[in-house]
Amino acid sequence: MDIVFRGIFVFVFLYVLMRMIGRRELSSLEPFDLILLIVLGDAVQQGLTQDDYSLTGAFLAIGTIAVLQLVVSYANFRFPKLRPVLDGEPIVVVQDGKPIEKNLRRERVTIEDLAAAARKQSIAKIDDVQWAVMETSGAISFIKKQDS
Amino acid sequence: MAVDVPDFIDLERHRELAGRGLSQPIRRVLIALTSAVLILGLLNVFGQRPDTLTADSAKAKLEVYAPAHLRGGILYEARFTVFARRKLNHVVLLLSPGWAESQQMNTIEPSPAAQGSRDGDLYFTLGTVPKGQVYRLFLEFQVNPTNVGRRRADVALYDGNTRLLAIHRTITVYP
Repeated sequence: MDIVFRGIFVFVFLYVLMRMIGRRELSSLEPFDLILLIVLGDAVQQGLTQDDYSLTGAFLAIGTIAVLQLVVSYANFRFPKLRPVLDGEPIVVVQDGKPIEKNLRRERVTIEDLAAAARKQSIAKIDDVQWAVMETSGAISFIKKQDS
Repeated sequence: MAVDVPDFIDLERHRELAGRGLSQPIRRVLIALTSAVLILGLLNVFGQRPDTLTADSAKAKLEVYAPAHLRGGILYEARFTVFARRKLNHVVLLLSPGWAESQQMNTIEPSPAAQGSRDGDLYFTLGTVPKGQVYRLFLEFQVNPTNVGRRRADVALYDGNTRLLAIHRTITVYP
């Protein structure tokens, strides 16, 4: 019983935390982020199962998180009004070659970050971008101007 | 030539961020709450920094050095110090059951001359402590992960059947 409650708490806490830290952090997976992810996983495991080494304990912990993920995913699909809360919404960060400073600032994305993301999609100049949209995953999608 | 607005992008909502007035304040509140919990952690609200509690009389002084806030699974030490102001012939330390409830008692050093139960409490017979001398008893614990809540962890010092001193305390165990 305890593990199920712990699983629910950990899931809700991590979900809120991920929504709270913002999408900029979610999009990048630099070497340090990778290490952080492993450390985070270890810390979560300690709190989740503690000294329980049983297969039953592992089943309960994994099962709880899997079911909650399914519930969130279903709620996201079934109730569109919940999507902005559960998943967030895309944000337009460039229109017609001009970065939208207010939106970039909100997501803590610099012009340099934006240019780097554009280069990854073989776009040399932000001027060539018609639309850039920061998706809910934190990735930036670029749509080039038709004449460029 | 300008490209049409991408599908499912609403410029009012996704560029001007209309209707998202509360999202930033909510995010800031959540960050503040998380930070507040971390600060409470630094302030020892969730353990396990030990406190020293003392009780004093003409015959003896009792000092308990142990954490009052604990978390499931942690190892900790409780130290009981008896300062004899007069010769104590038959020192007994009486601990309320909260000390042992859902906790592993790993070590008792030095081993008491006798131990048992007195009306539901745990007693440890420490023997004689000459005037001016000190007796230190170390107990090492580990908290069971499912042990959550608050319980009494009182300590009383006896000389034979005479109660000399008592320290009233509680321990709080966080999940």
